[in-house]
Amino acid sequence: MKKGFAILAIALLVIGTLAMTGCEKKPVGTIKIGGIWPLGDITGRQGSMAAQLAIEEINAAGGVMVDGGKKLLELVVVDDELKADKAAAAVEKLVTVDGVEVLVGGMASGAELGKIPAFKKYGLPVVSTGAASYTVENALGGDASWYFHLHPWDYNQGASYAEGWAAIQEKFPDIKIEKLFLAYEEGAFGKASWDATKVLFGGGGYVIDGAPFKSAALGGGDYASVLEAAKKFGPDLFLWAGYDADALPMLEQAKAMKFNPGVYLGAPPGWPADFGKSKLAENVMLYGMWAPSMNDTNVASKKFYDGFVAKFKEEPATYFAPLSYSAIYIVAEAISAAKTTEKAALISALAATSYDSPLGETISFSKSNVIPYQGIRRQKILQWQNGRQEVIWPFEAATESPVHPFPAW
Amino acid sequence: MATKRRTTILVVLGLAAAILVAIWKPTVLIYGVQQAGLYAAIAIPMGLVLGIVHIVNLAHGEFMMIAAYATYFACRATGMDPLIAVLPAAAVTAAFGWVVYKLTIRRALKAPELNQLILTFGLGIMFSQLVNLFFTSQTRKISLDYVSASVTIGETSFGVWQFVFVAVAAAMAYGLKLFLTRTTLGKAALAVGQNPKGAAIVGIDVDRTYGIVFAIAAALVGGMGALFLTRSAIFPAVGSPFTMKSFSLVAMAGIGNIPGILGSAILLGIAESLLRAFRATRGWADIVFFVLIIAVILGRTLKWRKS
Repeated sequence: MKKGFAILAIALLVIGTLAMTGCEKKPVGTIKIGGIWPLGDITGRQGSMAAQLAIEEINAAGGVMVDGGKKLLELVVVDDELKADKAAAAVEKLVTVDGVEVLVGGMASGAELGKIPAFKKYGLPVVSTGAASYTVENALGGDASWYFHLHPWDYNQGASYAEGWAAIQEKFPDIKIEKLFLAYEEGAFGKASWDATKVLFGGGGYVIDGAPFKSAALGGGDYASVLEAAKKFGPDLFLWAGYDADALPMLEQAKAMKFNPGVYLGAPPGWPADFGKSKLAENVMLYGMWAPSMNDTNVASKKFYDGFVAKFKEEPATYFAPLSYSAIYIVAEAISAAKTTEKAALISALAATSYDSPLGETISFSKSNVIPYQGIRRQKILQWQNGRQEVIWPFEAATESPVHPFPAW
Repeated sequence: MATKRRTTILVVLGLAAAILVAIWKPTVLIYGVQQAGLYAAIAIPMGLVLGIVHIVNLAHGEFMMIAAYATYFACRATGMDPLIAVLPAAAVTAAFGWVVYKLTIRRALKAPELNQLILTFGLGIMFSQLVNLFFTSQTRKISLDYVSASVTIGETSFGVWQFVFVAVAAAMAYGLKLFLTRTTLGKAALAVGQNPKGAAIVGIDVDRTYGIVFAIAAALVGGMGALFLTRSAIFPAVGSPFTMKSFSLVAMAGIGNIPGILGSAILLGIAESLLRAFRATRGWADIVFFVLIIAVILGRTLKWRKS
């Protein structure tokens, strides 16, 4: 009798265990995603870190459903060193050696241009996080149906600034912008900004002037002549397009010269460490896509930020981190929707993306001037207030109202 | 006698030109002199190692960068002002320079100069890459109130902090002149620079002299690193453009002519400032920098051939 109970108990235990194992369905195998960023630069370094964070979160939640089973994601990262030749070699290596099935990443337009021949050769789905220059779009062509571009193009950015300033002036009548001065660094980035500013604001009733300066990032760092030209012009909005190395020294020199524009706005790709802690940073405006202050109003932003800080013990310094994080989630959701990594099905699933991103907007793709799949189109206008970057515009994502005018020294 | 007369004429002509510029557009002169002070204060230590003991150090700017990073982190940790850190930074960089000399440069001294060039070029790349690896490429700057100190004359307001670099450059030039002419070590350095074998025969410790002069130059550029942090943001590649400018200024002044570096820097600083004052020539400053250097070196070579 006792023996019979023991056999029955063992049998029930075995059946129960088998049943539970069957329910869990552990992920089998991995899907490789190739990531290309400039790892020596803060944008690329944190971009790749954020992508890794997204991979770990997705895997911790069980991975993605493919062909009736679960698979984990694996990120293989290669440094493009901001160079076109290295970027091209990175695509070749990821596709032919590592066997990745999707490509993500990107920051500088020059490096992205280098990748395009290899992208076209393999035709794998690409979710690009960088490259703002319209020349990249022209090089891709209208039939690049495998290319999903998240970052706004330069003309998208310019149009959104014009739209933003018009909206701000309408809502806050004490802010009047008629005269605009652009201080631009002498390189390609600065000159492109100057050309775009003339086109976008030139026809909109604005009086525009500008002058170049040699960025500290390229061995310059003396802003006296450009600030003197700006002061003489007397702009309502002073905008500088340079690098993070110019941010504080230019402000210090502007203060020394008692240069007081109504709006002082910087457009570097990133800001120096602890810029917000400087007294001079107060009320400086900036263009961007994301700021930690958005955690107060956006659940996805807070989840990303908390995860990043917990894992890496540092703050995300630029919007390339949430953008790269979003790229991985977009890929994962598309794989789950397509239930396969087969190219055509995955591209169709990516085209149908609707992802509630930490950048404060739902990302979906639609046709741009040239390529079929463009994601984000608007940049945000932000302002440093009490050491934090606050979103001023678009109003639906705003975390604070603008403070105007820029403090008199 | 003729050289002295020519120098006097050049100085008088230079002063007259400066007065004319000051009357016409005073800020051109002010910003030009300020920029010249920075260039000279960084170039003079290179003038010491290159001009006096003939060591080609293409990692010169990276020594400044490392000192600036050390200062930055020391200031962040202790709340100290970078100005207080000038002397400690100089001492630490001197020790670092001594170690670098002993481990690497002294082994290339007897080889052709190209070896020193390649060695120090490699050291420079290694230093900036190591800093990039440990501290990333993110720029860092300490925000200081006094760097925005200004003076207003009529409708013109200008910053005055950068005049500190002019004072530092002048003090360096004068101090090094005294060091080289009034001290035993300075005289030994001149002797080693002119004829190392002869200097060894008369009992000078050549290796020690090279090492000390290299460490002094490292100390000066290290102190400048701390001072540089008051004015500029720092990042791993911040030093290399100053190596090229320093090398050019030393060449323009003439190898061994330390006070001449100050004069060359003033000429170039004002020329740059003058060009930046006009809309049409704002982008020409770098071109003119090197055109002036080429012209001066060519002129000096032609004069040498004639004589």
